[in-house]
Amino acid sequence: MDVQEAVAEGAASVENGEVKRDGKKQFSMGPGDILEGKLIYDGSVHADGRVEGEVRVTGNIDVANGATVKALLDGANVTLKGAVEGAVTARDKLTLGKNAKLSGDIQVRRLQIDDGATLNGHVRMGDFEHQASGQ
Amino acid sequence: MSTRRPVSRVPTQVPAENGANGRRNSVVLGPKDRLVGQLYIEGDLQVSGTVEGTLEATGDIEIAGAGKVNGAVTAYNRLVVGSDASLIGGEVRVARLTVEDGATFTGRVSMGAHKAEVVSEPAPEVVATPEPAAQPEPVTPQDWGLSTPKRKKK
Repeated sequence: MDVQEAVAEGAASVENGEVKRDGKKQFSMGPGDILEGKLIYDGSVHADGRVEGEVRVTGNIDVANGATVKALLDGANVTLKGAVEGAVTARDKLTLGKNAKLSGDIQVRRLQIDDGATLNGHVRMGDFEHQASGQ
Repeated sequence: MSTRRPVSRVPTQVPAENGANGRRNSVVLGPKDRLVGQLYIEGDLQVSGTVEGTLEATGDIEIAGAGKVNGAVTAYNRLVVGSDASLIGGEVRVARLTVEDGATFTGRVSMGAHKAEVVSEPAPEVVATPEPAAQPEPVTPQDWGLSTPKRKKK
């Protein structure tokens, strides 16, 4: 299982200030960072820059405004502010911010789409019986 | 309900004022109202009741309160699904979309690039490519040694 870490040292500031303080780990990317491959992470991810592949986390995923993501995303709370191409699973809530552009099928428990967001894909809400976490 | 006008598939120019009172047309289905079938509205539509069927509006559609819509929804402008509302649809075609936290929302969403084009115009007339002179043709006086392709002359 290849896990590539692309944490920009120091410079990876979390712009929206949603750093979790509950002891969970946070994987934080900066605007110039690139992640290619598959990341399985016990914590939360702040995605910025470019992400390609697959990101599965136990915590939250948050995609920054300006980020380019072509990946499968799987997290508890998923918040998108940038462009995402790929399937998204939010075990709790998916939020599409006003600048979000999502092209892909989504499965969520709760969904919030702000005015201005773009969504193209199939939305499933509720049950997670065949949640694709087993691999 | 308009029976003379089934759900249109032709984008209509939204009249700025087409309501009876000189304002933009707006239709409201209240909490106790129920619709089974198809509804096409030139203007805005607000649903707080129950709809089983297809909705299409040239303006905005708002599913408000405890409104429930089961079917395809097309809003040429904006669709709002309120926090207690439910949209369990097939196809959802909108230009703008707002889903409030708490709403129930299932379906296939298409935004932008509304049913434009796809007029399948005939392929542009291609200049006939000179077919290779596979079969021997009798040279006729019309072939004056130009580099034009040989034509079949019967």
